[in-house]
Amino acid sequence: MFSQKVAQQSLRRLAVQQPFAMQSSLMRASPAAVALGQNIQTRQVTSSPNTEDPTQILVKQRLQRPIAPHLTIYKPQIGWIGSSLHRISGVALSGTLYLWATAYLVSPTFGWHLESATMAASMGAMPVLAKVLLKSTLALPFTYHCMNGIRHLMWDLGRGLTNPVIIKTGWTVVGLSIASAVGLALL
Amino acid sequence: MASFARSSLLRQTLAPRPFLQKNVGVSQVVAFHASAKKQILPPLPQSVEGTPKPPASIHSLQSAERAAFGECFGSNCDAAIPYVLDINNATVNDPAPIPETHPSEGSYHWTFERAVCVGLVPLTIAPFAAGSLHPVMDAILCSLIVAHSHIGFQAAIVDYFPPKRVPKFRSLCNWLLRAFTLTTAVGLYEFETNDVGVTEALRRIWTA
Amino acid sequence: MASLRTTSRLFAASRPMFRPAFARTYATVEPTPTEQPKMKTFKVYRWNPDQPSEKPQMQSYDLDLNKTGPMMLDALIRIKNELDPTLTFRRSCREGICGSCAMNIDGVNTLACLCRIPTDTKSESRIYPLPHTYVVKDLVPDLTHFYKQYKSIKPYLQRDTPTEDGLEFRQSPEDRKKLDGLYECILCACCSTSCPSYWWNSEEYLGPAILLQSFRWLADSRDEKTAERKAALDNSMSVYRCHTILNCTRTCPKGLNPGRAIAEVKKMLAV
Repeated sequence: MFSQKVAQQSLRRLAVQQPFAMQSSLMRASPAAVALGQNIQTRQVTSSPNTEDPTQILVKQRLQRPIAPHLTIYKPQIGWIGSSLHRISGVALSGTLYLWATAYLVSPTFGWHLESATMAASMGAMPVLAKVLLKSTLALPFTYHCMNGIRHLMWDLGRGLTNPVIIKTGWTVVGLSIASAVGLALL
Repeated sequence: MASFARSSLLRQTLAPRPFLQKNVGVSQVVAFHASAKKQILPPLPQSVEGTPKPPASIHSLQSAERAAFGECFGSNCDAAIPYVLDINNATVNDPAPIPETHPSEGSYHWTFERAVCVGLVPLTIAPFAAGSLHPVMDAILCSLIVAHSHIGFQAAIVDYFPPKRVPKFRSLCNWLLRAFTLTTAVGLYEFETNDVGVTEALRRIWTA
Repeated sequence: MASLRTTSRLFAASRPMFRPAFARTYATVEPTPTEQPKMKTFKVYRWNPDQPSEKPQMQSYDLDLNKTGPMMLDALIRIKNELDPTLTFRRSCREGICGSCAMNIDGVNTLACLCRIPTDTKSESRIYPLPHTYVVKDLVPDLTHFYKQYKSIKPYLQRDTPTEDGLEFRQSPEDRKKLDGLYECILCACCSTSCPSYWWNSEEYLGPAILLQSFRWLADSRDEKTAERKAALDNSMSVYRCHTILNCTRTCPKGLNPGRAIAEVKKMLAV
């Protein structure tokens, strides 16, 4: 309805402003014009043929596409933050173990003293505050990783896999691990 | 009534729009914060399997193959660019390739890993109840922890260093991990045999 | 074809050609005159493939919530209609059954048509495309690989033996019940693109949505290719990149549980 209106109006405008153009354009389509071979349309502007391989347009565009933002914009939720803490704490604990055990293996060569007696002695020589700090930094990843590990084992049995339970157990593990880490640090 | 639907759009474009001028102002457009920084685990540029190869390879195809790709447009047969083009003669509509079945990296691996975790639970609780562990239990705990750590590190490497993006760094990480797991295992063995055992040592250090 | 009627043709000349810009659209509601305008800022991720060298940007738009429909999709449609026609996003059904308008709204993947606009006008709403997808334009992600992965799990009934009576393959009500919570998935990709594992390994890891569909066919009592389906999943990448982060279950706009489905798949593969 709208397009018809526009066509109507433009035709009207054409008739008012350029009667000659109107006449010629009508004439071109007339049977007489066809017979005289005057109906061939001409283009005022020549468009150059696009020789580019059309299948390559999309391929090129794909190479330039950005990646939508992810980790930086995703809402912090107990689920994935807790899971990343699980991995971080695991890597930290295992990394400490790996470094210490490897150091113990090579300690005779370098003359380091990593026996339990020397380490216990150096621990005992520390001021209380340093002791508690060191113990809690070691205990927190341990308690968190262990308790969250239990949660993972439950999930692998197919239990507790609903949103409310996931959120509740997530915060429970955070609370329990902090409490038990403090308890261990004060031992 | 397509023309009716479109009329509203046209109206939007032609009518004066005070809001547009207000909103497209430069001050309103803020560069996206994360893109300016270094990307986290940057992915490679997108490439979809089954997308056409560059034209050169198309023209080098045999004419029979080319004919198989369908009709030619006009008189210029070379202009007919086939849609079916990949090493496996696949299109974008073909399924993603399925990795080979490999239970020792799949289901067996997962079951083993879970079994190790389940085994670690009582062995982790026991020292707290008993003070320290019998040397045999201590040795079992140590070997389970080493296995658990190795699998954990391996999972992290597989997750964060895909071979397509960083093939050399990934194999370096894998070899480093194997070497460190070996030294750790031997170191723990040394500690178990020459010292008081891990749980007992931890107890002594902790209560020192 | 109202314009063909004589009456309307008579009126056509006297009617103004364009009605004012504030004509009511479907995403716009009539304002109640007494209320104060409730202006809220929407920040939308913009990237134009025609200017690929330009970095993606966040563009802000202010809308009066009194004049906007209740859902995020209404806000987007209103922005496109009235503020900026160049804003590009996918939408279709506006009732959460097509999955077209999946995007990241205020940090959580959801369907714009099912997501209410937070009425708190002080805080701005941020709208991004689905995380870690290749962006086609603005809020439109390229899901080609996602669909290719869906195809790779053969999402259809595979069966060689006909039924005894030659009629349809029937199920007991109990067997049918196993498919509840699985068949409703609309493949909007909200869960897959919320999964960090899928972010890092989308090439080979199938992701929650596709694994839920995998389980849908593994759990189907009529399907006879269970062994083949299991063999196709039994490798380090397809399933076992899942580390039970459970963003999938948290984010699913249809309230399904892809996390549980993956746990069931793992259990099926383990025994």
